[in-house]
Amino acid sequence: MRDISMILKSVRNSLFLFTAISVLAVSTVSAQDAKEGRTLFKAKCSSCHALDAKLIGPALTGVSDRHPEAFLLKWIPNSQGLVASGDPAAVKLYNENGKIAMTSFPELDEGKVKSILAYIKEGEPKPVAAAGGAAPVQDDTVSGLSIAGIIGIILVAIVILVILARAGKLLERLILQKQGIETEDDMPLSVGVRKMFRNKKFVLFFVLCIAIALGSWGWMGMWNTGVHTGYQPVQPIKFSHELHAGINQIDCQYCHNGAFKSKNATIPSLNVCMNCHKAVQARDKYDGQISPEIQKIYNALGYDPETQKYDPNQQKPMEWVRVHNLPDFAYFNHSQHVVVAADAIRKAKGLQPNEPVCYACHGPVNTMEEIYQYSPLTMKWCINCHKETDISGQKDNAFYTKVIEAHEKIKKGEKITPALLGGLECGKCHY
Amino acid sequence: MKGSTLAMNKNKFVYAVFVAFAFVATFSACKDKRSTGLEYARNMYDPIALNPDQPVDTTNKYLSSFKGQAAQTPPANTKPVGFKEYDEFPNNQEGYVAAGATMVNPLPVDTTNLAEGKHLYTVFCSPCHGDKGNGQGHLVQIEKFSGVPSYHEGSSSRGGNMKDLTAGKIYHTITYGLNNMGSHASQITPTDRWKVVMYVQELQKGQ
Repeated sequence: MRDISMILKSVRNSLFLFTAISVLAVSTVSAQDAKEGRTLFKAKCSSCHALDAKLIGPALTGVSDRHPEAFLLKWIPNSQGLVASGDPAAVKLYNENGKIAMTSFPELDEGKVKSILAYIKEGEPKPVAAAGGAAPVQDDTVSGLSIAGIIGIILVAIVILVILARAGKLLERLILQKQGIETEDDMPLSVGVRKMFRNKKFVLFFVLCIAIALGSWGWMGMWNTGVHTGYQPVQPIKFSHELHAGINQIDCQYCHNGAFKSKNATIPSLNVCMNCHKAVQARDKYDGQISPEIQKIYNALGYDPETQKYDPNQQKPMEWVRVHNLPDFAYFNHSQHVVVAADAIRKAKGLQPNEPVCYACHGPVNTMEEIYQYSPLTMKWCINCHKETDISGQKDNAFYTKVIEAHEKIKKGEKITPALLGGLECGKCHY
Repeated sequence: MKGSTLAMNKNKFVYAVFVAFAFVATFSACKDKRSTGLEYARNMYDPIALNPDQPVDTTNKYLSSFKGQAAQTPPANTKPVGFKEYDEFPNNQEGYVAAGATMVNPLPVDTTNLAEGKHLYTVFCSPCHGDKGNGQGHLVQIEKFSGVPSYHEGSSSRGGNMKDLTAGKIYHTITYGLNNMGSHASQITPTDRWKVVMYVQELQKGQ
């Protein structure tokens, strides 16, 4: 009897062990599959498909429930072949999704397709909470509000201290009075102040202090009139240059492509945003929802991310607040500086080779979460740079070549006209 | 007694001056970053002509056609001076195939054009397509973007091998975009697009 139960027990144990091992083995195999599938999905599928959102093609979560695996194994490597062969399910699927042909992937064999399906079934691996990039962004700049708060707290503390001191004095005097000791009455404050102002020396100090305060305030105020250094207005979209130019390392010119061609660096119109944000929606940071800041782009364009259609009737311009504002009487041309003078400016300002020439005046834009004016943009600032920058030894520079040519002509006594020096360009007068 | 008061006053005087300076310096330094600060003659800053990328006064009856914005679509059938256009092919599979069959790069392959093409490629394409055209740009590596094809491997989603794409097909794709890639027509002029095409065709050879 005992033996039988022992045997049963050992059988049960070994069964248990076997099941545990096999479950473990299966789960690791499927984890590996899903991992391989994720890499394949990112490389092959994600330009048109996402798991939870419709992109060019439909959302793929639950695709294994919607279609039999045998069909998917044929469809994914060669969907157009399947449609052409007249497979009813394939034709139906093709018509349902707007007759957009899906790329053929002859390189995906059965194992690879199964890995991709395993990844789709398991979904995106959940990031470990602490390691995720979703940590709240901390604002480490001291805002004007917090400075005002600190000053307020100090003032309140001073008032409280004064009141406490006076109360203490009053109590002391009451105790002394009880003990029968008369104290001379404190002078009221107003009498004290009046007495102080009768002192000519004090009046002199007082007037001097006010004169210095007003004088230095006026001096600083006049020097800073019209100088917007540090100006950082609130923009309609919380666009972060730190993220786009810093972390994502997108070149300045990608969006401000006018800088290399024209006077204006140009603020990109929203179609440039949509080059990336059609697909990039930062859903992982907002619980699967589209980032509210990216949604603002969609709203301004009348764009519906579900249907991927634009509604021209709902479009309205995005009103960015201008940060850098030269007076209208000062002519500044971006392309003259960043194309013609790029090397000279780089040398003069000591820029690193990996830094765009734009940083010479706009500062470390790749660290600015909110854009601000880095340079004073005063005339003195322009003049100083033009005095110090060394432009000798510039090669292949059409501007200077032209100037040298003109000088050679003058030396030979030939006729020079403004037209020869570019005086017929419309923009010389009509800018 | 008199002397000592005077000495004390002198100390007081220096102290008061110091405090006054510190006070003024502190308060003038903490200016509001959201405001431009004091401005004199603001109307000299603002251009009389339309301010690029800025709102337009909607109450001005002469500017009513601008509907409040300075940025406008150019009038139909006009183009900027020096702007070279090439044959337009529609944004569909037929247009793509036709462009691939008929368009040829009008620019000669030389070091200047290739250097400019490389610069433009680095600015506009390499964030996703990578410096070597292998589809492994910085944005792909940090997983912001995915599914970017390599120029010298794999097959195109519109048929054929990536490395066999003709100049016209590449030009058509830059102009209109494809799948998750947007149109880059507003950022790259037609002539510059051909320079990019020239450089991409170098990358198709693979290294």
